[in-house]
Amino acid sequence: MSVADLPKTEANVLRGHEGAVLAARFNSDGNYCLSAGKDRTIRLWNPHRGIHIKTYKSHGREVRDVHVTSDNSKLCSCGGDRQIFYWDVATGKVIRKFRGHEGEVNSVKFNEYSSVVVSAGFDQSLRAWDCRSHSNEPIQIIDTFTDSIMSVCLTKTEIIGGSVDGTVRTFDMRIGREVSDDLGQPVNCISMSNDGNCILASCLDSTLRLIDRSSGELLQQYKGHTCKSYKLDCCITNTDAHVTGGSEDGFIFFWDLVDASVATKFRAHSSVVTSVSYHPKDNCMISSSVDGTIKVWKS
Amino acid sequence: MDRDEDDFVFYGTPIEREEEIISRKKKAVAEASGNLRTLVPWKQEVRDEEGRRRFHGAFSGGFSAGYYNTVGSKEGWTPQSFVSSRKNRAEVKQQNILNFLDEDEKEELEGQSLGTSLQFDTFGFTAAELARKQAEKEQQKRPSAIPGPVPDELVLPSTDSIGVKLLLKMGWRHGRSIRDSHTNKSYDARREARKAFLAFSSSDAKKQTADPESVPGELESYIDPPASDDVQSSESTPVYVLYPKQDLHGLGFDPYKHAPEFREKKRSRLSDNKGIGYRSAPSMDNNLFGFKCKNYDSVKKLDAEDEDVYASGYDFEETYVEDIDEPSRSITEGKQKSVRKEPGVLSGFRLALNSDYQHERFDPPVVPKDFVPHHKFPGPLETGYKLGDPGPPEVPPPEDTNLKLLIDGVATLVARCGKLFEDLSREKNQSNPLFSFLVGGNGHDYYARKLWEEQQKRSDHTKQKLDVKLSPHMQKMTAESRGQILGERPLERSTKDSNSSATSADAIQLQYNLSDTFTKPALHGEMLEAAKPFKEDPAKQERFERFLKEKYQGGLRSTESGGASHMSEAARARERMDFEAAAEAIQKGKWSKDSKLSTSQFMEYLSSGGMQFTSGGLAQAKDTQAENSITKEVHLKRKEYQWRPSPILCKRFDLIDPYMGKPPPAPRMKSKMETLIFTSDSGKDTKAEEIVIAKGVSFPVAQSDAQGLSKDAADKESEVEVEAENVERPVDLYKAIFSDDSDDEEDTSVHNEVGNPEKKGEAANTTLNRLIAGDFLESLGKELGLEVPPELPSSMNKVGNSVPPKGTATVNSVDSDIVRVDNAPSSNHEILHSQEIARDGPRGNIEPVNGNSARSNSKYTETGSFGNQFDKIILEKAPQEDGKAKTPSRRHRNLSSSSSSEDERSKKRSGRHRHRHSDSDSDSSSDHRDRHRSRSKRRRKGSSREKSSSSSRKHSKHHKHRSRDSPEKERSETKRDKHKRRG
Repeated sequence: MSVADLPKTEANVLRGHEGAVLAARFNSDGNYCLSAGKDRTIRLWNPHRGIHIKTYKSHGREVRDVHVTSDNSKLCSCGGDRQIFYWDVATGKVIRKFRGHEGEVNSVKFNEYSSVVVSAGFDQSLRAWDCRSHSNEPIQIIDTFTDSIMSVCLTKTEIIGGSVDGTVRTFDMRIGREVSDDLGQPVNCISMSNDGNCILASCLDSTLRLIDRSSGELLQQYKGHTCKSYKLDCCITNTDAHVTGGSEDGFIFFWDLVDASVATKFRAHSSVVTSVSYHPKDNCMISSSVDGTIKVWKS
Repeated sequence: MDRDEDDFVFYGTPIEREEEIISRKKKAVAEASGNLRTLVPWKQEVRDEEGRRRFHGAFSGGFSAGYYNTVGSKEGWTPQSFVSSRKNRAEVKQQNILNFLDEDEKEELEGQSLGTSLQFDTFGFTAAELARKQAEKEQQKRPSAIPGPVPDELVLPSTDSIGVKLLLKMGWRHGRSIRDSHTNKSYDARREARKAFLAFSSSDAKKQTADPESVPGELESYIDPPASDDVQSSESTPVYVLYPKQDLHGLGFDPYKHAPEFREKKRSRLSDNKGIGYRSAPSMDNNLFGFKCKNYDSVKKLDAEDEDVYASGYDFEETYVEDIDEPSRSITEGKQKSVRKEPGVLSGFRLALNSDYQHERFDPPVVPKDFVPHHKFPGPLETGYKLGDPGPPEVPPPEDTNLKLLIDGVATLVARCGKLFEDLSREKNQSNPLFSFLVGGNGHDYYARKLWEEQQKRSDHTKQKLDVKLSPHMQKMTAESRGQILGERPLERSTKDSNSSATSADAIQLQYNLSDTFTKPALHGEMLEAAKPFKEDPAKQERFERFLKEKYQGGLRSTESGGASHMSEAARARERMDFEAAAEAIQKGKWSKDSKLSTSQFMEYLSSGGMQFTSGGLAQAKDTQAENSITKEVHLKRKEYQWRPSPILCKRFDLIDPYMGKPPPAPRMKSKMETLIFTSDSGKDTKAEEIVIAKGVSFPVAQSDAQGLSKDAADKESEVEVEAENVERPVDLYKAIFSDDSDDEEDTSVHNEVGNPEKKGEAANTTLNRLIAGDFLESLGKELGLEVPPELPSSMNKVGNSVPPKGTATVNSVDSDIVRVDNAPSSNHEILHSQEIARDGPRGNIEPVNGNSARSNSKYTETGSFGNQFDKIILEKAPQEDGKAKTPSRRHRNLSSSSSSEDERSKKRSGRHRHRHSDSDSDSSSDHRDRHRSRSKRRRKGSSREKSSSSSRKHSKHHKHRSRDSPEKERSETKRDKHKRRG
């Protein structure tokens, strides 16, 4: 994918959140997107047509992360109220609430079968919640982190968490091992490459780091943006050719994945770009910002 | 009916439900006569003559079996009973019309059928029919591989028509044209007669075989282009012969297609296999086949040469072989000859006359013209040189403590910044009498010595960790050369300096470390003399010394380097471990510092951690640490633990639980130990420190001067550190296996504390002095326009440590780092999630989760002031880091031993706080003042912290679901206590 194909032109602006938008996520097929904001709501959008579809209100505090199942039927969300909400997408009702985190919950993800929600909390624990049973107790608590966990990723067999203690820890369920990679910098956000071999970790020293998962090798570092105090998302484009991430000055950066050069950068928002999400197939991207907008970018 | 039951006396004979029977009968009659109104067929009920419904069973028809209940009756059919076909599965009944015919019908049929009699069977139809029947019968008799009858269309039993028979009797054979080919009249009667005989014999044979025409060789004979003589041209009609497939190849696959030699080979082998006695019968068969299929030139040959057939008999075998392989053999004749010529070559292959393969030969490497065949051994020579160069003589420090401090400081700075600094300061302070030592005045000797020591120390730190793993030869690489290899920027240093410092070996480092203790600088051997951990066993001590020598010096090895020759392998290995550990302990210099207790303590150290040396884990841990700090840029610090996913989680992820069937988890070794030993804070420390060390790399804050200011200061520092530790003996075993060297030093320092608690006050004083000196030196550096790598007040920074990242306290510390708006005074720090700090601010205050907000506030005031300093440092150093130029100072720091880990831990915390204070911009002196203030504040605050810690402890009890955290909490609390005590 050439640089020209990168989504740089603004296609739509999704307005509706009152206050900062903390997370914006495409659904699995990229037709819809979800946003979570400080206004305690989750909103469902059609980013391609710029339509607001639905609002999910139940959180008591800001919503920090949201994730949708691959069949688009359920949502899970988490936030400052220390709970994980399990929603029905169509009705907008909360099916279940998972309580147990002792602090804010920073990140939440469904597993492949949408049967488990794994949440990453400020209380230094990763918790796995069972969506199938009616138990409200977590089925697993991982508390080996030594600081707040900012982000969690799931593969088919692994749980990966990135923490402020500077580690990215991979918990492999098949072999029952925990592999801890110490980056030395507080990790803000982790995201997987599409081939699943690498992890992109956003560190608080304004650096994105690309780690080879199998060897723990630090493959590349991406610099140029500002990321010192906010939780800023980063992701790898769907072709694994570029790395993208927001900056605290409102820019969106694209780096070449291999040589770490800044492929392009442009001013996207007037304030901090909190989250970016790349379309699973097309050259399309959404970004959310503290300025309350979600912007859809296309090439 | 009820009435009947009520009455018990009967009169007369009761009528047996006459009306019922009647009605039933009527119904039946009506039904039979069709009087009944016809229902739809599926509603009609079938009844028997009696009018009853009969049930035949669910599998045999139910209420209506057959056509209107005809089953089992005379008109109906008998339901077939279940017969298991398990045994006779392959048996398929072939139904024939004859099966359904009665005897008389069959007779009729027999009589009606028309057929030509055999006598007039001109075209052979009847004969074919008969033959087919015959074949059928035969087939029924013998079992068939393929179940069921072979379809007639596929296999036609053939008969010869009468015409063919006639022709055959006349001498015609298959494959020949009918017209008389023998144009020449040379055939005589004898020949004809013989042919007739042959034809007879073949036709006889044919009757014996099931498919008479499947003859090997026929196909080939057909395929072979006929020779061009007129006899062969007349043999026009080809006969297609079926080959019985006898090999295991696929259909139509001819393995010898392109290698007829092998066919020949195989055939000869087969014929060899057949014994002579066995030969006659099969070869007869072969011959028969061979006759049928005969290739005409072979027949010709027979005809031509075998005049006396009867006399000699046929050499069937030969005929056969020749028959088949005639053409190919003629082709390969030459080859076979050549094959025979060369024994030892695989038959069928021929040695190539000229081989394509040639041995590749490489030219030897070209020796450069200017090469001098003389190898330089840099290591041992330099070592020798270094050993012989003890540096400037040890001079008692000047009486004036101020001057001493100044000299110490300048020496440190010069060692750190290079000779340039010395020159500059000399120029600047020419008039200043205080600096007269620079130009040879009062205290110059001391300065020279001090400077030398500092430089030694610096270079030692560079080398120390690197050398652990390197081979003895590699050990002698200088820091510069290594730096060049690694692409690092060399230190700015005058040639003289680098000469003296950079080439120093570890022996010198030992020397330095020990010189802290000994008034007189001792040479290598003497030092080891002093450090005799194995005093009671002189032989062992000797071996230990030899080991040390080998470890730190290059040169030849004695053959029995591992230990005494009489020792067993295991004992030698164990001893080597011991030595390694002891050497480590010495090298760390920790125990040399308090070497007043040295030997006894070391023995204790050895005995307490007796297992640790055999485990080998200790040395390894250190190695990996050192390695990590080196290869940090490429490889992240990777560690693996056991982790037990819950079974239900595995189930939900559709995975097999790796721990299925295993006993419930021993959560993690570390935490288990901690639960056993309540006072322990070792395991956690290990972890934290490792993290810190890893982190330290990216915080390029030089701190080697912290220990470099003066040896007294370093001493004191260790004292201060010492106070932080708890007294804990039993952890040693665990530590020995899992912890790194920092623990060991803590361990020893524990003794130190125990040994001389009276030093505390003194330590505090010295630290204060050192701080003053540090202030002065930094401002001096600024004045001179040099970049002075700032030192870290390690003892101060431990304040940051006092808040452990675990447990309740983290709610404040971690929180303030990233997630939530903190309630720190310097609130220009924004949380990642929020813009509206103002809105969130109150929440943060409302929420101070564990009620220790007061403490956290106070903490922030302290750490905040530190943070300023660190921020500045970081800002200064940031470009360097970006450029990936690892400055030597950083490496120094990373590789430094003793107090560095403690410093780095604090640094880590400061790094976390960094962003919060990034925009505060005050100059360094004020920073230092701040530091002083906060230091004193810290002391004052001891009591309050105690309060807060106790409150948090109380709080932690409320969280019952945190029970798993409890060991860590314990630990954090003990740590807090420790700091409190230090304060």
